[in-house]
Amino acid sequence: MARIAVDRENRLLTAEFEGLDKLWAVKSRLEIPLAHVRGATHDPGMAREPKGIRVAGTHFPGVVTAGRFRRGGERFFWSVKNPEKAVVIELADDESYDRLVIEVDDPRATVALIENALTR
Amino acid sequence: MGRPRAFDADQAVSTAAALFATHGYEGTSVDDLVAATGIHRGSLYKVFGSKRNLHLTALRGHLDHEIRPAAAAIAALTHPGRATAAAVASFDGGPAAGLLLLAAAERAPHDPEVAALVAEGFAALEDALRASHGDAAPEVASTVLGARLRLRAGLTASKEH
Repeated sequence: MARIAVDRENRLLTAEFEGLDKLWAVKSRLEIPLAHVRGATHDPGMAREPKGIRVAGTHFPGVVTAGRFRRGGERFFWSVKNPEKAVVIELADDESYDRLVIEVDDPRATVALIENALTR
Repeated sequence: MGRPRAFDADQAVSTAAALFATHGYEGTSVDDLVAATGIHRGSLYKVFGSKRNLHLTALRGHLDHEIRPAAAAIAALTHPGRATAAAVASFDGGPAAGLLLLAAAERAPHDPEVAALVAEGFAALEDALRASHGDAAPEVASTVLGARLRLRAGLTASKEH
């Protein structure tokens, strides 16, 4: 589970990982300029996609997928235990990841938060 | 970077439009979109960015390819009764019929970009009815949209139209 927030003043999207999630994902925080965020989608089905090759992090299939993965030339950041709460955040080409797949407490609210920030 | 696109984006957008028009925005999952379009999930995200962007693209396409041509045909009619009947029969009547109405009810209150597109669609109808109804065009447009909604619900439109 991550806490996703939008810093409107600095035009930043931040994802904070706490407790064990920090350990699984080998990250405590991601910061992405809003200009590099293309959109956010609540997508429980994403978790059934092949994960590709793990670059760093943890993958116990069906339990936790966390960390950096590569697949078909694309770079993913995963932090998901419960697929029902997975949000897919698509990033622009010049980011270090193509796509973030992050579990959040309230996917509907998170998607609305990001979309509102993008629409301005 | 991603692999080259190996699909017809326009075809994908119209397939998505039909899904959104049938099941609504919330009722259409990314799984549904992937299954119906046959496009890989990754390519869908790569090209459209999000389900919302795909929905906006579908709504724009619906306006350009179905709503505006329908409005032009209605604007060519000067007989009030005929213009109204044509509007009820054809407005929002294309392959993605209902997309505009559903977007108006479901997404417009939460999404200013959807609200703007819906307003464009409604304005096109109002302007089209001006030739036949003059200043009463906005009221007639509301009646037409109400009739479309009743038709969608499977109820017959009121006899006078």
